[in-house]
Amino acid sequence: MKPETLAIHGTTAGNGFGATVTPIYQTVSYAFDTAAELADVFAGKTPGYIYTRIANPTSLALEKRLADLENSIGCIATSSGMAAISSTVLSLTRSGDKILAATGIFGGTVSLFENILPRFSIETVFANAANTETFISNIDDRTKLIFLETIPNPSLEIPDIKAIARAAKKFNIPLIVDNTSATPILVKPGDLGADIVIHSTSKYINGHGTAIGGAIIDTGNYNWRNGVFTDIKNTSKKAGPLAFLSHLRNLVYRDLGGCPAPMNSFIMLQGLETLPIRMKTHCANALKLANYLNDHTKVSWVNYPGLPASDSNQRVADQLNSMAGGLLTFGLGSKELSEKFIDSVKLAKNAANLGDAKTLVLHPASTIFHEFDEQKRIEMSVTDDMIRVSVGIEHFEDIKNDFQQAID
Amino acid sequence: MKLTINGEEKQFENQMTVSQLLTVEQVKMPDMVSVEYNGQILKRPDFDTTNLKDDDKIEFLYFMGGGR
Ligand SMILES: Cc1ncc(COP(=O)(O)O)c(C=O)c1O
Repeated sequence: MKPETLAIHGTTAGNGFGATVTPIYQTVSYAFDTAAELADVFAGKTPGYIYTRIANPTSLALEKRLADLENSIGCIATSSGMAAISSTVLSLTRSGDKILAATGIFGGTVSLFENILPRFSIETVFANAANTETFISNIDDRTKLIFLETIPNPSLEIPDIKAIARAAKKFNIPLIVDNTSATPILVKPGDLGADIVIHSTSKYINGHGTAIGGAIIDTGNYNWRNGVFTDIKNTSKKAGPLAFLSHLRNLVYRDLGGCPAPMNSFIMLQGLETLPIRMKTHCANALKLANYLNDHTKVSWVNYPGLPASDSNQRVADQLNSMAGGLLTFGLGSKELSEKFIDSVKLAKNAANLGDAKTLVLHPASTIFHEFDEQKRIEMSVTDDMIRVSVGIEHFEDIKNDFQQAID
Repeated sequence: MKLTINGEEKQFENQMTVSQLLTVEQVKMPDMVSVEYNGQILKRPDFDTTNLKDDDKIEFLYFMGGGR
């Protein structure tokens, strides 16, 4: 099945009434007739749900559908994108280990890696992933995982996932790719060799800015039986290729408590159904807006991977199905002018989110990056005049007119 | 055709796909099961197109919590 069809007709949690939509199983626990039955479920001898922090039918339907769309072997849905990232990283690292991460990725991820993980003596090396050679030269025998974003936000410098996946394989460590901003409609990182895919489903998958959620997807590329993670290797004796997800489900995810609310999983399933058509419109509008801004005399600079002048343009063609996503950044030369622009837009909302149906604008330096000093912000490619736009799916003429009146 | 299902050898008369085996074996919660086919997890869209052959090894795995 093609993604447009899978997104609509994929797994639904069974229901006895012929309901055409996956029901919301709003329950904490699941009752069994006999003590032996529940004991069998706990022992993994028979399938069944135990407790919604571990698994839930509505969330499982979402998990199956996401795994299918990413052409992967399995998925665990989480309460947020950050819960997906923290659970994944905490399952794969321990004191003394190192992470190699791309610079210019989401600020929340950077904060987790820089402010929380060091407390457990887990160190992160940040390097520019757009340059494969220098990036992978940072791998050493303590590195346990590599972390990238398909379209890093806000740098929008696209890494060569295939080449970095090859290096990860050589060192037998997993490559984790946050595919939030591209979604499986633009790229399935697993098809390029990535081992684990992360989503903040709060963004394009939700699509309407109505719920927070995340997902951890095992693409099936990493061989946990021969991996460098002893505890997961042991799990693989029972769970086979599902060892990583099983290790999460029965330990890290279960004990950290990052499960989604069933209601939110339902909302994400609804969002998924229209993801393929929405992504096409987000990308088409973003390309038009980038071209418009590029031609505007008052605009100092525009960064959109879909523009031929972008260093990432070739990678859009090679990796992203020739669609460059719905995010762009531009500058008006000074912080004051950029703030004035944000104050003047009428249609676009000034909000710290992306992937909404509505066009959203944000001044990253004073918002999601305010905790970082200026030097650090520059390293993260966040300039003081940067405006980030999450281009929505309104009619392009209306978006353009709004930007025009706000710039002029 | 001889298949090993969850470690147990079984004989089958007819050709089958993985989807058909799920029905024949009355696998519980077929929407939720993961199928390990000769050591690899089958992607769900391949259930309908994977034809079973003699000596194939199949494991039905659930990862809804519990012992696995
Ligand atoms: C690329 C990326 N990853 C992860 C996250 C975190 O997701 P959440 O807000 O769902 O925790 C975000 C949120 O902005 C993001 O943009």
